[in-house]
Amino acid sequence: MSKQINVALIGNPNTGKTSVFNALTGLNQQVGNYPGITVEKKEGVCKLSRGIKAHIIDLPGTYSLNASSLDENVVIELLLNKNDKDFPDIAVVVSDVENLKRNLLLFTQIKDLEIPTLLVINMADRMRYKGISLDIDYLEAELQTKIALISTRKKEGIDNLKNLIANYKELSVTPCINPSDIDKEYFDNLQKAFPNQLLYKLWLVITQDVNFGKTDRKEIEAVANFKTKSKADLKRLQQKETIKRYQFINNALKHGQTIDASQAKDLRSKLDRILTHRIWGYFIFFVILLTIFQAIYDWSSVPMDFIDSAFASLSEWTKIQLPQGAFTDLLAEGIIPGLGGIVIFIPQIAFLFLFISVLEESGYMSRVVFLMDRIMRRFGLSGKSVVPLISGTACAIPAIMATRNIESWKERLITILVTPFTTCSARLPVYLIIISLIIPEGRFLGLGYQALTLMLLYFIGFGIAVLSAYILNKVLKIRSKTFFVVEMPNYKLPMFKNVAITVLEKTKSFVFGAGKIILAISIILWFLASYGPGDNFNNAESIINTEYASQQLSEDEINQHIASYKLEHSYIGIAGHAIEPAIRPLGYDWKIGIAIVSSFAAREVFVGTLATIYSVGSDDEATIKNRMAAEVNPILGGPLFNFASGISLLLFYAFAMQCMSTLAIVKRETNSWKWPTLQLFIMSGFAYVVALIAYQLLK
Amino acid sequence: MNTIIQNILVFVAIAFAFIFLIRKFIWKKSKSKKVCGGDDGCGCH
Repeated sequence: MSKQINVALIGNPNTGKTSVFNALTGLNQQVGNYPGITVEKKEGVCKLSRGIKAHIIDLPGTYSLNASSLDENVVIELLLNKNDKDFPDIAVVVSDVENLKRNLLLFTQIKDLEIPTLLVINMADRMRYKGISLDIDYLEAELQTKIALISTRKKEGIDNLKNLIANYKELSVTPCINPSDIDKEYFDNLQKAFPNQLLYKLWLVITQDVNFGKTDRKEIEAVANFKTKSKADLKRLQQKETIKRYQFINNALKHGQTIDASQAKDLRSKLDRILTHRIWGYFIFFVILLTIFQAIYDWSSVPMDFIDSAFASLSEWTKIQLPQGAFTDLLAEGIIPGLGGIVIFIPQIAFLFLFISVLEESGYMSRVVFLMDRIMRRFGLSGKSVVPLISGTACAIPAIMATRNIESWKERLITILVTPFTTCSARLPVYLIIISLIIPEGRFLGLGYQALTLMLLYFIGFGIAVLSAYILNKVLKIRSKTFFVVEMPNYKLPMFKNVAITVLEKTKSFVFGAGKIILAISIILWFLASYGPGDNFNNAESIINTEYASQQLSEDEINQHIASYKLEHSYIGIAGHAIEPAIRPLGYDWKIGIAIVSSFAAREVFVGTLATIYSVGSDDEATIKNRMAAEVNPILGGPLFNFASGISLLLFYAFAMQCMSTLAIVKRETNSWKWPTLQLFIMSGFAYVVALIAYQLLK
Repeated sequence: MNTIIQNILVFVAIAFAFIFLIRKFIWKKSKSKKVCGGDDGCGCH
């Protein structure tokens, strides 16, 4: 029978921990949340020698066990709680060969918890560029552990790492530091008070002001009561501890590591000077963004057209092949067009994440954070707010969760409140379909008008987010301290596997996360559009036949009139007409009104809803775009989706708070309904006013 | 017969869709009370 061991993958941010995780687990991984909190939990399985299976947990990146954010709490909570089902049999500390000294601080802390600890030195391929050489045997003896020198980029050393993990019982658990060396009297007293407890664990519990949700609270409270020193004294002892650790690390590295700067072939400094330049830096970032948006349009058009026509044909085929009846109609007019409305955007979303992932992997994104910090400060945001604002282009939910590493509550709250303005991937389907309907396909200086419009919408979202932050900074009377520290990782060629996994994961979560909701809403919408109360709906055929008896209409035309009449008197038609007075000034008809209301659950539902509504009663094979383009404004005549109504819709979706999940996460992160309620009314009210002004000016 | 089966399938699909949406947005599974932002003094803000 195979044995399973728990392996905790721990390390500083930017050490390539996730690359090690990917190299060990391949695609045998899943992403979830830690119970009760919204910190991402990545787990995977790896087969080792002798039939041993490793359950690998990729813990959030942390610089030390002195936790200052929720992410870091997760690491310390797990390492202190032996009763946790995920408590590691072995801790694998991933370090970066270029930052070994700093990375070893965390290693020594974990080793002092007497957990078998293996040191992985990653990015070994960079050693010759940096003139670094390591005496592994010497370091192993000094640090009393085994070392795996690996390069995930070159796929070197992974098998050795697996063997070392399998032989985890051979690892020494001797601590690096004796706490008594920090303050003999204090630590001896502490040990006397709790003779059966590990001294370093006691010390961590005393000094950490964190949420030990899973650990034995009584045990911790008993220890926490042993506070023989003031907070200031404890801080001083912590500083002494850090100094002791660095003395230990310096001793080990003195002979174990040599750096010959004359051998270094460093491009980093030169690149940094250009990419973070106060003029060229912004110019290059702008050019990169332009290229991305142009590529999203140019590369996606062929697969998108194919998907669009494939779904239209599938819908038509279903209608012909299956026996006539309500369920066939549901499939052909509800489910297939609804799903088509989401699948069609897979190419563009995949390309967007491909570019974002390449920028992150290459180390350029950290330069963008640094670059943008200069601007952010003026608007009351932290440099760290840039990360949520940029990740908001994927989805506001993880972006809002990413604000947890912002230390100042005021800056964090402002970031939470303004992040939903950034253009998330759910807005993308709405933007893309409307842009393709109202913006011509021409080019200006080689750049498509449509791509430029899309980029402009991203800038508008970002601009309004920053402007709102400025106003909130003036309005909110909360005092807090602020500081900004960002690590600049080395530039590296993005690893194909990491990029591929990110693109796959993000696209999958978009399609399946949104797809299930869209499928369910498509079914309900089809029902509401296919059934209705009263005589008008039930006697639609006879009413239309009587009304058009005097005119010489073909059977197709009569059927179209019947379908249109039925839709207008269906449940959805009645609801749509009820809200029409409120949205007519914005240039929308009742069908768009229904799509707006249904997309309150999630923005991407908008296109699926219109696809479903326009499909009901339609017999011809037509793509979503063609159906929308053919819609006529019932009052003014002419296309319903014209320049004025299209711009109005784009602006409405740019600003409106159309996402229930975001509201739920804001409530959770702020622990109050006040902020999500304000967000909902202010954002949606603002969206309505802007859309109204835009339509009235442009019509 | 065909009509009856098709109608049953439609109503089953609608019921599933309705229950899914209710569970997704209105009635959610209760989660652990040890949540950041709760009363357990996690110190996150």
